[in-house]
Amino acid sequence: MKKTTILIITLILLALTASGCSGRRITTSGWPGLTVHEDLAYLASGPHVYAVNLANGTLKWQFPAEQQREMTFYAPPAVLNEDQLIVAGYDDILHSINPENGKENWSYDGPKDRLIAEPLVTDQAIFVTSADHYLYAVDHQGNQLWEPFETEEPIWAAPVWSKDCECVVIASMDHRVYAVNPETGTEIWRTEDLGGPIVSKPAISDDGILYVSTFNNEIIAMDVETLRVRWRFTTADWAWAAPVIDGEQLYVSDLAGNFYALDRSAGEQLWVLNPGGRIVSAPLVMGENVYFGTDQGSLVVASSEGAIQRSQDLTGKVYTSPDGSQDVFLVAPTEHDDLLLAFDENGAQLWNFSPSDD
Amino acid sequence: MWDAFISLMINILLFIYDLMGRNFGLAIILFTILIRLVMYPLTARQVKSSKAMQEMQESEEWQKIQKKYKDDREKLAQKQMEYYQEKGISPFGSCLPLLLQFPIIIGLYQAIIRSLAVTPIQLVNLSKHISDGANLIPINSQFLWMELSEPERLHVFGYGIPILAILVVITSYVQTKMVSTGAPGGDSGGQGAQMTQAMSLYMPFFMGYLALTFASGLALYFIASNLTTIIQYLLLGQGDLKNILPSRS
Repeated sequence: MKKTTILIITLILLALTASGCSGRRITTSGWPGLTVHEDLAYLASGPHVYAVNLANGTLKWQFPAEQQREMTFYAPPAVLNEDQLIVAGYDDILHSINPENGKENWSYDGPKDRLIAEPLVTDQAIFVTSADHYLYAVDHQGNQLWEPFETEEPIWAAPVWSKDCECVVIASMDHRVYAVNPETGTEIWRTEDLGGPIVSKPAISDDGILYVSTFNNEIIAMDVETLRVRWRFTTADWAWAAPVIDGEQLYVSDLAGNFYALDRSAGEQLWVLNPGGRIVSAPLVMGENVYFGTDQGSLVVASSEGAIQRSQDLTGKVYTSPDGSQDVFLVAPTEHDDLLLAFDENGAQLWNFSPSDD
Repeated sequence: MWDAFISLMINILLFIYDLMGRNFGLAIILFTILIRLVMYPLTARQVKSSKAMQEMQESEEWQKIQKKYKDDREKLAQKQMEYYQEKGISPFGSCLPLLLQFPIIIGLYQAIIRSLAVTPIQLVNLSKHISDGANLIPINSQFLWMELSEPERLHVFGYGIPILAILVVITSYVQTKMVSTGAPGGDSGGQGAQMTQAMSLYMPFFMGYLALTFASGLALYFIASNLTTIIQYLLLGQGDLKNILPSRS
């Protein structure tokens, strides 16, 4: 009987010891989020958000200063004003950071699951979506404004502003796009089931057309006012990346590695490129060119007519949308020795950034 | 090749998930049972071989041979092979089926973990494996009180009790005890028996630790797999439940 007693006591002790543990998930992974503002690049990558000087790639600050367990960041930070940089975390918390010194102003812990997409900031409020299915709104001091707006599935797409309805538009993995009143959090409209999950933010043109990429291998264009579907364009695989408007063209892509330019009023294909590798990030339109990356590490620069100007091979994968200013173009590769690479307009590398403590 | 195998496992798992009304917990349990049933012939062969080896260890004839050639290892090995041939015992009969099961078990584990894609990078990786499953995304990872992509705790009066981890320890203990009582030297008191005994004690705690810290979908798989194995062993007449509890010394 003695051995049995020992076994039972051991199991009880094990249970009691284990019950003290938090039980928090341990799997957190993503690709970096990048935002360029004035002379700084803000990079959310794993345990820190980094402020990097655009001129030379030196670190201005990192948040948090010391790595903290469970604090991870992958969403592109959003600049609210000169006092606040808004950062959404995989720790379910929305942080406001002082862009001058990297110190935290406030934090909001309302969400119950990962904050995957970049927040939307307006003069009145900050909007952030969560994998817990909700859209949250807080004021500039981090106070919740209204009861969170619920969709039926996780929201991975960033909220966008529609000037047509003066409202916040969100796309959910429940296959629908919603318009939400920014002052009350109530629903203004919702689309029909669009046939597949949506994980990237919609694009809304000045003439009131909403474009959305779906996992149902489709790009869909709709009138914001009437919600009438204007056209559907079929892609070869899941359309993950957000559509990007460039004048009368619309750039979209799919996981088969196709990068398409569409006539955005008719939905007809103008040209397509396939440099190899899957495309999950939205392209950057800078000047006359469009920049996009693939998960085979290709960084492609194409003209708006579809001529490849340059294709660079980086080691690693390019999952993050490129960003840049007039004379510096930035890439944040995944599975690469450096977190950030800067190139000039001719593709010559200017600097690389790799934090010393990671 | 391995990727193609994982893709097959993931697609079967997601097919079952769809059949089960998009309940990933039930899909894990059913898929685990199915895999175990498919592997039943291998398990049966392994048990049969283990039994034969055990009988050999216990036979007077073999013990005499061991005694006779205890100082001549080469001769003992030769006699051992002759004995195997005479009795029709395959020396690899108990471990070969076990080795063949490993890739399937690892594939099953990989399929479960990869299907529980709750971050963009996990979903990008999953999309490489699924042929036509966009409408199954996102996977509903809620099962009873559990979030299958996270370690499990049942909160009672403010305490998070790791029910699944405890069940994993108990079922792993019973399963390893049943397997070890059937293994060669399992109860014979030799060096091999000591190792088997140590394993039957430490292994359940190791499995419990994994269940405690990893996604609870994995713990659910451990429990379903252990219970299926226990039932299979009982059906094969292997293992006496009386031997499961530690005996009086």
